[in-house]
Amino acid sequence: MKMSLKNRFLLLFVLLICLVLIFPIGVMIISSFNSQDGSWGLMNYQELFTNHYYRNAIGHSLTLSLSASLFSEVIAILGAWSLTKMSSSVKESLVTIFNLASSFAGVPLAFSLIILLGNSGVLHVISKSLDINILGSINVYSWLGIVIAYSFFEIPLGILFLYPTFEEIDQGWKEASDTLGVSNCFFLKKVIYPVLVPGLVETLIILFANAMGTYETVFALTGNNITFISTIIGSLIGGEITSNIPLAGALSVVFGLVMIALVIMGNLLVRTKRITEGK
Amino acid sequence: MKVKKRTPKIILTIIFIYLLLPIVATFLYSISTSWINTVLPEGLTFKWYAQLVFNPEFLNVVLRSLVLSIFTTILGLVIFVPVIFYMNIYNQKLKAKMRYITMLPFIIPGIILVTGLIQLYKDIPIPKIVILVMVLSVMSLPLVYQTLNNVFISKDFKSMFEQSQLLGYGPVKSFMFVIVPNIKTGLIVSTLLLFSAGLGDYVITNLFLGGNYITLKIYMYRLMAVNGNAGSVLTIIYFIMLSILSAILIRTTSKAKKG
Repeated sequence: MKMSLKNRFLLLFVLLICLVLIFPIGVMIISSFNSQDGSWGLMNYQELFTNHYYRNAIGHSLTLSLSASLFSEVIAILGAWSLTKMSSSVKESLVTIFNLASSFAGVPLAFSLIILLGNSGVLHVISKSLDINILGSINVYSWLGIVIAYSFFEIPLGILFLYPTFEEIDQGWKEASDTLGVSNCFFLKKVIYPVLVPGLVETLIILFANAMGTYETVFALTGNNITFISTIIGSLIGGEITSNIPLAGALSVVFGLVMIALVIMGNLLVRTKRITEGK
Repeated sequence: MKVKKRTPKIILTIIFIYLLLPIVATFLYSISTSWINTVLPEGLTFKWYAQLVFNPEFLNVVLRSLVLSIFTTILGLVIFVPVIFYMNIYNQKLKAKMRYITMLPFIIPGIILVTGLIQLYKDIPIPKIVILVMVLSVMSLPLVYQTLNNVFISKDFKSMFEQSQLLGYGPVKSFMFVIVPNIKTGLIVSTLLLFSAGLGDYVITNLFLGGNYITLKIYMYRLMAVNGNAGSVLTIIYFIMLSILSAILIRTTSKAKKG
């Protein structure tokens, strides 16, 4: 009875994972080799890599995700470092706020950004009535606008991921190396660098992957008008005239492979770092 | 020392203001009568709130979101808690293999998963909402797994479980009355994570159900286009809901760390 009960739960768990993760991904991979008229082959992949429209979208996704994640990472580094200097009660409330901000992504974020920065948004109205240009050339629906939009959830996310790494750096280390007569440069290179770099790389990869996977925020801001991998998949499966699910499958497979490559790369980087550290 | 503390404070204040700016603007917009040509709103009012809250459609939307979140939470807790417990206590090998599976939802974004789901379930006569609940609970598996895993390695649950059975409780009773009270914090955090997953999803719910099941976020998206005032009210209400969830989450985890 004891065994069977355990097994029953395990079976349910495995079944659940298969039904909503393994099987759908499997079906998607298989059908990505299928064309809409029923023949089999690599035509969807061929289409993706020869058609400029899709190649551009892949390029857009990569460059935008890179800009957004780098921008957010830089600010998150400053934020995480500053956070370690605060008293523990301030830390706690700030962590709550960052946690909240990182989950306030998607439709609500897009909507509040339109209210803040949009064509008839609050800042626009204020600058019009004061007759000065607060906004400059920021346009929420543009490239820069999307980088800004992503930064609203990527900065807090980055801070939350980086903060433990910065907490590890002990004030005592600096004092110890000063006592030992170590130069600042050596201290940075041999003490701070090995602790910090794995954390920084890991966080950058997480932010990049997060930006790549973002669909909701861009879609709510711009509709399917800006061509990213995610928005194209959205319009290919959205039941519109352009609907082509096998092609969306192929694009998803390419996308998934990029994500897996990223995660593996991140793991390898962090691991080699840790191994050399261990020596 | 004082100067050293000032820079971090300034940095954090700037980040804080930056992050809150859209919410503040949305809040002001939601309580203004009209705000077209002036520096500040022409007048303040709560009529948009009353209008939205007393709209029967709004009540339906909230109910739908709650139903989705509650079922997602129940399913997630009922399946994940015993399985993660079992893997930690009795089957470390399986646990090592499971690590990769539990990371999958982290690597596979919703927009990709939904492509596969649509294909797999388009001709299968299972209500799509049932599948959706399953999907949403699995999507929060990485965080739930991590939370519960940390809880189960913190104490010797194996001997606790076995001693309880030696003293005469069956495995189910031992689990419910001995293990569960000892993992309260982990359970609360998991509950919140699962609940937020149900409340916060837009992509899968919208694309998989074809927009037929209107939840808070889908309603918000529709309001965006037609009624800015109502939309801003809904955004604020959603923000408050998230704040409450987030506050309980942090409160629970920090309390656990201290005591």
